[in-house]
Amino acid sequence: MAPKTDQRDMIYLDYAASTPVDPHVADLMADLLKSSGEHGNPSSAHAFGRRATTRIAHAAVQLGALLNVDPASLTWTSGATESDNLAILGAARLAQHRGRHLITMRTEHKAVTDAFDRLQREGFEVTWLDPGTDGLLDLAALEAEFRADTQLVSVMHVNNETGVIQDIAGIGALCRARGVLFHVDAAQSVGKLALDLAELPVDLLSMTAHKVYGPKGIGALYIADRPGVAVEPLLYGGGQQRGLRPGTLPTHQIAGFGLAAEIARESMHDDLERLTGLRDRLWGGIRDLPGIHVNGAKDARFPGILNVSIEDVEGESLLLALEPLCVATGSACNSTNSEPSYVLRALGRSDALAQSAIRFSFGRPTTGEEIDAAIDRYRLAVGKLRALAPECAA
Amino acid sequence: MSADPYSGRVRALFEHPVHAGSLEQAPQVLIEDQGVRIALTAQAEDGRIRAFRFRAYGCPHVVAAAEALCERYEGRPVAELEAFEAVDLVRDLPVPAEKTGRILVIEDAARSLGKTLRDVSGS
Repeated sequence: MAPKTDQRDMIYLDYAASTPVDPHVADLMADLLKSSGEHGNPSSAHAFGRRATTRIAHAAVQLGALLNVDPASLTWTSGATESDNLAILGAARLAQHRGRHLITMRTEHKAVTDAFDRLQREGFEVTWLDPGTDGLLDLAALEAEFRADTQLVSVMHVNNETGVIQDIAGIGALCRARGVLFHVDAAQSVGKLALDLAELPVDLLSMTAHKVYGPKGIGALYIADRPGVAVEPLLYGGGQQRGLRPGTLPTHQIAGFGLAAEIARESMHDDLERLTGLRDRLWGGIRDLPGIHVNGAKDARFPGILNVSIEDVEGESLLLALEPLCVATGSACNSTNSEPSYVLRALGRSDALAQSAIRFSFGRPTTGEEIDAAIDRYRLAVGKLRALAPECAA
Repeated sequence: MSADPYSGRVRALFEHPVHAGSLEQAPQVLIEDQGVRIALTAQAEDGRIRAFRFRAYGCPHVVAAAEALCERYEGRPVAELEAFEAVDLVRDLPVPAEKTGRILVIEDAARSLGKTLRDVSGS
């Protein structure tokens, strides 16, 4: 299952950007795409349509089991970006009679910040909260920002750049006590960390399949079955999915997501244990380098991500010198942009340190040998670039 | 969607900067601007550059451009270094437009070193 490219010496350590499709998932999807598979339109009343509908219903049960929710509370989307947009734009616009004040964090994914930017242009008022230097949201700071007209709070579970885990139970409790809707972008945590939505005070939760060994192009939005929790659609069409997200459902992708969720549920404990070992092995191999810093909280951090900055090393050159390691400088969406990460800047990192940041992220196929190779390559690259750099001018 | 931002020439120069380093007892110019730090040092004899070395803190295009500069001007008349124009490197490597400013830092350093070499040699 190693995600090799055509160059056999490539080492993929960018699982936070995307994961390879699990072979069982790929096999299932391939079978469904064959002429003997499920090509019927799930909206059709005939046997082919009913079979496709059954497949989709089964996938909802699988994903629902992972999150401990009623499958009927899940709406299929094209991925987390669409889920975020549907949740934020859909909820804010539908319930604007309740208030037009919204709260989010500066360290959210662009799929969230851009949606809030859009709402600001529509006349909503947005409070942008800064995290502490550890990347965590101070609950007291959040509490201080609530107003009578606050309608929605959106905070991601696991940060895609740093792996910092927010206290969504605490944030959700504050929201629930005030009757404020709470949306969580859980693209980086669904299938990786235990999420019991029957217990957590979360109203809307976005997820995607391709971060958890499922296919790209399919995601879901959880909408809690509670009074006052609803969104208005962004798309209009055939009325599928109760009109919330119309369009012919992609049976093979949904089935793939369902199976990926089932596999994640079964392997989560072992995955977390392995990822922790790999993360600690990598950090243990580079932590003695002078001027190296971990970005994000010491403890409340997802073990599948290690984000480090290093002094006196230029980030873009570091990324190139690290080849054949496939890692990220910031979020994958920003990988072609040499601007310092806005997430790391919000944590108080200088431009130079933010720009030198490398995000290593690990997955099920990652081996200890790959980690050892990454350690060697990182040390070599840092040494080379530091030797290349002149002393600072006096 | 991202195509490879580096040409084969940039990759080769970045990977094997054979002119990286410094020269003892030789004139040196150090300039820091636009997030780039470049140090150039050269030994001249009979009006020609006998040895040319660089150190650089910057993106891969900056490192490659500094290496290409040394490669090109080692053995050439000092006067040519004084007239160096970064546009040649920008075109040859090539360097993307948004990074041109960084290569101009190298141009400033090269011209300054050329003048220093001329002043030192009295030519």
